[in-house]
Amino acid sequence: MISVSGLSVSLAGRRVVDGVSFDMTAGEFVALTGPNGAGKSTALKAMAGVAAAEAGEIMIGGARAGSLNALERARRLAWLPQSRPVAWNLRVEDVVALGRFAQSPGAYDRLGDEGRRAVDTALAKADAGHLAGRAFQALSGGEQARVHLARLLASPAPCLLLDEPCAALDIAHQLSLMETLGAEAASGRAVMVVLHDLELAARFCPRVIVMDQGRVVADGAPAEAFSAVNLARVFGVQRAPSGQLQRSP
Amino acid sequence: MSRVTLILALMAGFLFAASALAGTAPVSLGECLAALAGQGDAATQAIVWEIRLPRAAAAFVVGAALGLAGAGLQGLLQNPLAEPGVLGVSAFSALGAVIAIFFGLAAVSSIAVPAAAILGAGVATLLLVLAAVRGAGSVTLLLVGIGLSSFAGALMSLALNLAPNPYSLSDLVNWMMGSVANRSWADIVLAAPALAIGGALVLFAGPGLRALSLGDETAASLGADPKRTRLLVIGGTSLLAGASVATAGTIGFVGIVAPHVIRPFVRHDPQRLLIPSALLAGIVLLAADLAVRVLPFQQELKLGVAAALVGGPVFIWIAARLGRSSS
Repeated sequence: MISVSGLSVSLAGRRVVDGVSFDMTAGEFVALTGPNGAGKSTALKAMAGVAAAEAGEIMIGGARAGSLNALERARRLAWLPQSRPVAWNLRVEDVVALGRFAQSPGAYDRLGDEGRRAVDTALAKADAGHLAGRAFQALSGGEQARVHLARLLASPAPCLLLDEPCAALDIAHQLSLMETLGAEAASGRAVMVVLHDLELAARFCPRVIVMDQGRVVADGAPAEAFSAVNLARVFGVQRAPSGQLQRSP
Repeated sequence: MSRVTLILALMAGFLFAASALAGTAPVSLGECLAALAGQGDAATQAIVWEIRLPRAAAAFVVGAALGLAGAGLQGLLQNPLAEPGVLGVSAFSALGAVIAIFFGLAAVSSIAVPAAAILGAGVATLLLVLAAVRGAGSVTLLLVGIGLSSFAGALMSLALNLAPNPYSLSDLVNWMMGSVANRSWADIVLAAPALAIGGALVLFAGPGLRALSLGDETAASLGADPKRTRLLVIGGTSLLAGASVATAGTIGFVGIVAPHVIRPFVRHDPQRLLIPSALLAGIVLLAADLAVRVLPFQQELKLGVAAALVGGPVFIWIAARLGRSSS
């Protein structure tokens, strides 16, 4: 579905992503983790086409990413960035309708039956159906996060990239988010999610990629990716006898 | 067509009818209706068809152009204070027109003045967008706009100092205050192509403007090309502001007030804002011109002055509210 090989990205002269390679097939649910500044968000941005790759190649659905125009890329891949500004006090359903911009660039009430159904379904999946009709800026931070999630899910793109979608969500909504993403993967989408919560990643994602200082340092099942060695070396933590993670001495 | 648009269109129609009636020459309702239908005596027909209606049409068209340009610029810069007048686009446009006049280009071709006005507007818009792309916030953009305005004003005065004939001062007043007095159908026809193309470009950018609400990067990932949207709005607003300045001089604040009033009625959507803002700004300017014509002043009040008298306080009010919400 998406294949990254030898990807390098520099920001302001600093190499933030350094020779990253991985493949993701349809139906996979992958967690991308790593300490702050590991290059996770930048790697996602390069895949989403908003950060220029310095070297390497990204293939999306069998086509070179560089050869796709914005519209073609948006039909194949949807991205939920870490910072999610919303200028103007748009209606919730209009924000979500933007997820289908590549299919139909109209506002919610101009989308047609299929588009409106997709928006309604996405809102329901993100547990935000009751927010339809509300003004975006009147929502709480968690509610806004769910509307953004619905915006992503409204896209029919076969590949979803999410950058820290759990921020601002309460624990119940974090769990339901992970269940929803698991269901999306089960329905045949390739889902990659940047997570800081290792427990959440280990519990829901069959595959974990760990990045550190711009490189992929582990890629595999959670037990393997979060081995004691990796936890200590990459994250600077260790597992206490109680099972809790604690800072390495 | 949405309900807001329909109501505004009806209001515009009503004001057009009223402006055929209003003026210094006494024309009764019956005579006026007869003249509109192409009957009655020739003098009344001339007053209605050759003086009042073209003036009303010029006021409406210029207002609509400024309203559309204001709504488009606000969507692009994501700033409710953006407008050709406030940002110095109109002043640069007037500068272009003044330069064309004083260098004798106006005598060469009738489209020289509108073309120079559009060019001036384009230069100012480009500078503003360069500042916006480099991450300038609302305050910086307004400061850049103020700088552009004053600079254009100074250059205009300079052009007049160098100008050989004594009539230029009243010309300058006309360009800087704005007026649609004595406009003919020919003036409107001259501006029409630029207005039509500019309007189409801005309307074409509509969906991109809504996508841009989520930020440049997200918009790009959604398949909306921010560069294309930016180009459409820059090109469109330059044509609109330039053509309206060439027709009526600089008229400020209309482009700010109209989108602000309309926004809550169109769910704050930058795309759905465009057409109703154009209609409302046209209505506002048409009404202001009506007022200018019937107010009993010795010398007719300039339209730009009337617009600023109403628009200035509204601008300050919006700015104050913005300052409160961002601090």
